[in-house]
Amino acid sequence: MDNLIFHIDVNSAFLSWEAVYRLRIRGEKTDLRDIPSAVGGDIKKRHGIILARSTPAKAYGVRTGDTINDALKLCPNLVIVDPHYDLYESCSEAFVEILREFSPCVEQYSVDEAFCDMTGTVGMYGSPVVAATLMKDKIYNELGFTVNIGISTNKILAKMASDFKKPNLVHTLFPNEIEKMWRLPVGDLFFVGPATKRKLHALGIHTIGELAATDLDVLRAHFKKHGELIYSFANGIDVSAVSDEAPPNKGYGNSTTIPFDVDDGSTAKMVLLSLAEKVCTRLREDSAMAAVVAVSIVDTYFRHESHQMQLFSPSNITNEIHRAACRLFDELWDGSPIRQLGVHTSKIVRGDANKQINLFDMNRYEKLSKLDVTVDMIRERYGEDSIMRAVFLDGPIYHLSGGISPEKHKAKYAEGIKDL
Amino acid sequence: MLHMPVDVIATFNVQGKIKPNYIRLEDEDHVLHTYKIENIVFSREEKYAGVPVILFCCNILRGGIMQTIHIKYHVKSHQWVLANP
Repeated sequence: MDNLIFHIDVNSAFLSWEAVYRLRIRGEKTDLRDIPSAVGGDIKKRHGIILARSTPAKAYGVRTGDTINDALKLCPNLVIVDPHYDLYESCSEAFVEILREFSPCVEQYSVDEAFCDMTGTVGMYGSPVVAATLMKDKIYNELGFTVNIGISTNKILAKMASDFKKPNLVHTLFPNEIEKMWRLPVGDLFFVGPATKRKLHALGIHTIGELAATDLDVLRAHFKKHGELIYSFANGIDVSAVSDEAPPNKGYGNSTTIPFDVDDGSTAKMVLLSLAEKVCTRLREDSAMAAVVAVSIVDTYFRHESHQMQLFSPSNITNEIHRAACRLFDELWDGSPIRQLGVHTSKIVRGDANKQINLFDMNRYEKLSKLDVTVDMIRERYGEDSIMRAVFLDGPIYHLSGGISPEKHKAKYAEGIKDL
Repeated sequence: MLHMPVDVIATFNVQGKIKPNYIRLEDEDHVLHTYKIENIVFSREEKYAGVPVILFCCNILRGGIMQTIHIKYHVKSHQWVLANP
């Protein structure tokens, strides 16, 4: 029996979820989905990009990732609402919960998309299209937002199918219908980003069909292993199974756009400390340690640079990671004003791996790791802001940087019921 | 008008069933009035936007006239709101 895989994708997720919340929970009358609208960051803090936009906004040419200023030039009457991450989390959970009613094997692929292994469910729901329509309508009736469902025999084809015409539709892309996909531009293929797309165009490959017909050796020569991957995707081949267990994290990193340009090293190092704090908290939460630390800098001219080093021994101690980050920063920074900083770690070791004790460490390791564990416990119990390093007191930098900043979790509404 | 938070007196039975008994509403002059909930027409659990609420459609006697209102109980935040129909 052939496998049967569904890919379920929420239509403009962040915007739909905010729209449903405003209509059903707050009792507003306008549906954000029916007007040109978008979810955007905070311009004053320079987090000014469009995170999601409605279909009417799309008609004006507003794209996800545009700056708010550009979007307003395209569409002056665009309604921009704040992000609301607590809501996205509860919507995402409710969404996956419904999928689990239909299939024992659900792989949540991101906050707004999931794969379901529906193999062997024909006896329960009838044909795949009937099952998918039932699923889509149940999500709409119970949760209030629409999804697209792609149906096929493997993950790549299901994913490509859910990306066909939107919103609120079910599409099939079985191997015998693969011409449907071959007509599309090669940039639409999963795992073909802007850089790969440019290279493929240079090779005269413009559609997915042309890619599928290209000699594999040519692709290997130009793209190495990635060439094999996109070649098999273009031919609808994907052997990966739907897995309900999330694969372990390969790296932990956080970055932040600073509200002002940083032109002195000491402020930059404070930002690095706040990032290291966040990254290490996450490492310790998963009882993981990192052997490689990297620092990235985006300067005010949007030039991107990064630099990495191997640690003496894997670590998740904030002070150690910060010390490495500072060294990397000193080696990397050319003195131009900094817009964004990032700290990333990789080569992850899990569990109670043996820690190589440094002879000249002077017992710092044990003291510092005890300190970190205690701080984590205090923060878990009394909140993230209950304890912080004194350097951050009254400073312009928040003591934990990166990820979703606290004010983005809740939305601020002038009247009506408070955010729940 | 937006959904507005309201004061409610409710009873919870041993099976966990919730029944609103009285509701306090504010009039145009910001004076509070308490109304008895005469009967519940129907109730329904909802989960729009992943927010669990229980909707009660009920009748109150207001100025000698029976009026149907919708109130919602927010399961997570324990708030009652008066919903616009």
